[in-house]
Amino acid sequence: MLDEKITQISNDFDSELQSVQSLQQLEELRIKYIGRNGLVSSLFDDLKDTSKEEKPALGKALNSLRNKVITDFSSLKLKLESSSTSKESKIDLTLPGNQEQIGSRHILTQTLDEIKTIFKGMGFSIQEGPELESDYYNFEALNFAPDHPARDMQDTFFINKDFVLRTHTSPVQIRLMEKHKPPVRAIMPGRVYRNEAVSARSYCMFHQVEGLYVDTDVTFAELKGTLVSFAKQFYGDNLKYRFRTSFFPFTEPSAEMDITCFLCHGKGCKVCKQTGWLEILGCGMVDPNVFKYVGYDPEKFIGYAFGMGIERTAMLKYGITDIRVFFENDLRFLKQF
Amino acid sequence: MRISLSWLKDYVDLKGFPTKEIVSKLTLAGLEVEDVFDGTEIYKGFIVALVKDKRKHPNADRLSLCTVFDGNNDLQVICGAPNVGKGQKVVFAPVGTVIPKGDFTISKAKIRGIESNGMICSEDELLLSDDHEGIIVLDPKLKPGTKITKALGFDDVIIEIGITPNRPDALSHIGVARDLAALFNRKLILPKIKLNESKEKIFSVASIEIQDTVNCPRYSAKVVKNITIKESPDWLKNRITKIGLRPRNNIVDITNYVMHECGQPLHAFDLDLLSGNKIIVKSTKAESTFTTLDSKTRKLQPKSLMICDLEKAVAIAGVMGGENSEIKESTKNILIESAYFNPSSIRKTAKSLGLSTDASYRFERGTDPNNTIYAAERTAQLISELAGGEILSGKIDVYPKKIKNKNIKIRFERIEKVLGYSIPSKSVSSILKKLGMKIVSTSPKVITVSPPTFRPDIEREIDLIEEIARIYGYDNIPTVSKISITLGEKNDEFTFKDKARDIACSLGFYEMINNPLQNKNDSSLTGSPIEIMNPLSLDMEYLRTSLLPGALSVISKNIKHGEKDLQLFEIGDVFNKHSDNEIRKFEDFVENQNLIYILSGMIKPKEWNQNERIANVYALKGMLQSFERKILLDNVLNDSYYHSENSCFDLFFAKKLNDKEIGSGGRISKEVLKQFDIQQDVFAFEYSLDELKKIKIENRKYSEPLKFPKVIRDFAFIFDKTIQYEDVENFIRKGGSELLKSVKLFDLFESDSIGKDKKSLAFNLEYYSEERTLTEEEVEKEFNRLIFAVTNKFNAKLRGN
Repeated sequence: MLDEKITQISNDFDSELQSVQSLQQLEELRIKYIGRNGLVSSLFDDLKDTSKEEKPALGKALNSLRNKVITDFSSLKLKLESSSTSKESKIDLTLPGNQEQIGSRHILTQTLDEIKTIFKGMGFSIQEGPELESDYYNFEALNFAPDHPARDMQDTFFINKDFVLRTHTSPVQIRLMEKHKPPVRAIMPGRVYRNEAVSARSYCMFHQVEGLYVDTDVTFAELKGTLVSFAKQFYGDNLKYRFRTSFFPFTEPSAEMDITCFLCHGKGCKVCKQTGWLEILGCGMVDPNVFKYVGYDPEKFIGYAFGMGIERTAMLKYGITDIRVFFENDLRFLKQF
Repeated sequence: MRISLSWLKDYVDLKGFPTKEIVSKLTLAGLEVEDVFDGTEIYKGFIVALVKDKRKHPNADRLSLCTVFDGNNDLQVICGAPNVGKGQKVVFAPVGTVIPKGDFTISKAKIRGIESNGMICSEDELLLSDDHEGIIVLDPKLKPGTKITKALGFDDVIIEIGITPNRPDALSHIGVARDLAALFNRKLILPKIKLNESKEKIFSVASIEIQDTVNCPRYSAKVVKNITIKESPDWLKNRITKIGLRPRNNIVDITNYVMHECGQPLHAFDLDLLSGNKIIVKSTKAESTFTTLDSKTRKLQPKSLMICDLEKAVAIAGVMGGENSEIKESTKNILIESAYFNPSSIRKTAKSLGLSTDASYRFERGTDPNNTIYAAERTAQLISELAGGEILSGKIDVYPKKIKNKNIKIRFERIEKVLGYSIPSKSVSSILKKLGMKIVSTSPKVITVSPPTFRPDIEREIDLIEEIARIYGYDNIPTVSKISITLGEKNDEFTFKDKARDIACSLGFYEMINNPLQNKNDSSLTGSPIEIMNPLSLDMEYLRTSLLPGALSVISKNIKHGEKDLQLFEIGDVFNKHSDNEIRKFEDFVENQNLIYILSGMIKPKEWNQNERIANVYALKGMLQSFERKILLDNVLNDSYYHSENSCFDLFFAKKLNDKEIGSGGRISKEVLKQFDIQQDVFAFEYSLDELKKIKIENRKYSEPLKFPKVIRDFAFIFDKTIQYEDVENFIRKGGSELLKSVKLFDLFESDSIGKDKKSLAFNLEYYSEERTLTEEEVEKEFNRLIFAVTNKFNAKLRGN
């Protein structure tokens, strides 16, 4: 008797559940079946009247019916609820989000960051020094003899005859070597000044990165290796390069490094002045005279040094044709990077 | 310096080597070729033409209507030059020719209504000189239709070389040829000198005395008599024209030619104008004046080296000759000066005169003291060939102490140590010989060489190593792919700066980089600025004393571009003098690294679901607090508020640590805004980054999250408006027990309803203990005690009661 009833109610519930469309109908169904006086609940009353032998099996069947009803009911409820919210409040997801402003580093700083990262990876420290320098650090200790035409290579802003706005970051080499005994391995970024008319190609101040490595067994071949590795990391693996003889009073031998113009790939264009090459840095082996100034034994120690301009590098890399835009700080420029 | 490849071939045979290879080798060896002019390319199409007829242009006074014969046809051409005339042979650019100056193509054109079929050219248009006064008039013997490259010898390649200051030897054709001979393994060919000297002896007509032998170690001379001053022959004019010189007369042209041939500057005096026929070389003792051959009177400093005769100065030694002894058309007898002067003496004189000549440029870099005779004789030879006259026999050569270069030892082992690569010993000695070095002795380990005196830059072993490396080729030195890294202390002085930048960016600020050179006004606004002795302009006469003026200029410029909402920062050095005295040592000034934050306009624009936020002093304070929390720790710096106005700020506050000021800022005063032409409020704060960096931050340690609940209480009081917020907050903090962990203002309210001179401040208090759960009762007791205390202390009224 009771087992037939259980089957009957179970089947009825299944079919009625299928026709449920709204939460309200579902609630009515809930009351009808598992409410206090619901159909399933009333079956439990009937259980009292069954025989001892039948009771355990019927009880089990009844319990499983009740669990099934509750489970089916809950899952349908969840389904109905989620569909009703999206129908009820229509949120327009296409409206724009609220933006937070994040600033950015100046493109010259970003360029320097890249250079720094590469050299830090090659074991270089990072050091700095003052912009208002003495003639001693800017020239004399770097082997620029007084009254030597080499001094004309860099147009200088003078404060007076003893103090200048540094024309290169090389004086930091001297300061570093005065403070530390070899080995010394560092790059030295900073701002430098040149008394040159302001134009699209030149500005009265710009930024350089200087490099120095002094130890007992440093070679020109290693300098080449280090700089080629830098250039490949910075400009790309496929580049071709060459080292040209040059002259700096504080290095001997001296060289300048060119890479193939990446605009014309060496064919010759306006940017590389039809040569197919772009100069990216100057370098050389530290002149023994410089070691004498800082008290290093030039027979025992040997070193290399290099220097590059950051503006020029950034101009090449980002296609900037007028150096002045770096220092105008037009927000429309700053926001591009 | 310009070098003609066809001229160069007199001294080295480079047959079979294309220009490209020559250019590349020179460049790699340190004689950097900056430009290449290939005449056959540049002057393609230009021809010699005859002006058959010249009439006035009917519609223009200054233009002429010419009939030009190009060898085949008569063409109608309009010419604007005043010197064009019938019968002249001219340089003609037919339709289709590309004009070197301006790089434009000649086309058939109507000028004032009349057709013109080409152009008659000036030197300027051909880039021969700046002269655009008139057209070039050619040798009448030239045939119309001849290519200009042929007629003028322009079928040549001219290269422009940038010579570094260490290579005075390369400032001539022979000098460049010597490097090429070494690079291409060819022989250097020097012109042979053969003199037909007369019987008359030079000593009978001239004498020389050097009084200042320090600054003039050698003075050599030759005399040529009965010369004829005239125009130089075409080959000579062509050669010097091509390297950018202007032909004058045969004597001047020859001295220029020989200087560009062998690097020795020469001067020709009119012997008859030298009083006593004598040359005396001496330095001036007092300030003096002298008129040079360009008719300019120049002021000379004491100790300037002069060439004098018995009565007067006749030349500024090594710089420029005098008007009083210049070669003129009437000159018959000349004395050729070929001397060696002390480089630094010439440089000082030339610098003080602000005058750099081809001669001074070479002397101050160092000429060859042992080449004066060769140059004098070469000059004499060419003069007798091209100007007639007799070369007097003998030479005068005052050279009291012969200059010799000392021997230098070069160790093979050292070459390898420096370069990281060994170069075969045969190559080493062959390279050195090719460069003119004398091998004194050789051993398996060492070569001793005597460098030539035309290489004053070679003094040490390392200089020879460079010579070997550059001729052997830097590219032949291997590029190692393994490097050694020194282990030791790694220091990055930028770490702190980079962190500051990161935080500034995350707070929405863009980084700017300004020029530290400013005008007097801007730089004096914030300190005592240091003046530049030789500024580019009045706008860049001083160094900045703070980052503020530069930042304000940027704000002003951006607002003019329509960018009104600005949040910017800069990290840079500022410079201040300690006193008005001149800077003699580093202690006389301070160079400090600063960081400025500046903001104006809206911090957040209005959006569809949010209101805008406008920059104000509280926004600035909050940003600074966020910055400090990230860079230091909370509440390390103390704020000080000043109600008196600072010169730049009308709302002004500073941050201090133990009474040392770390930074200051606030709202920019209206007056300063006006100076920068800014019409909106601007807020700025400048830290001393150096001082911030010095602050020691205690080791950061982990603290466990709180395990016990917090108890939150709010209260609001009505205060007199005169009571300052900070006093109330401090009182509550101090007055609360150790259980009170946080005090926050969450509302400020002013209204007539609570009284005109009253304000309401509402606070949010947090109580908790790290060790236990607080009971409601103990917090309530604590809270009530605080209410009572605040009420009493400030005569305040608790709201909501």
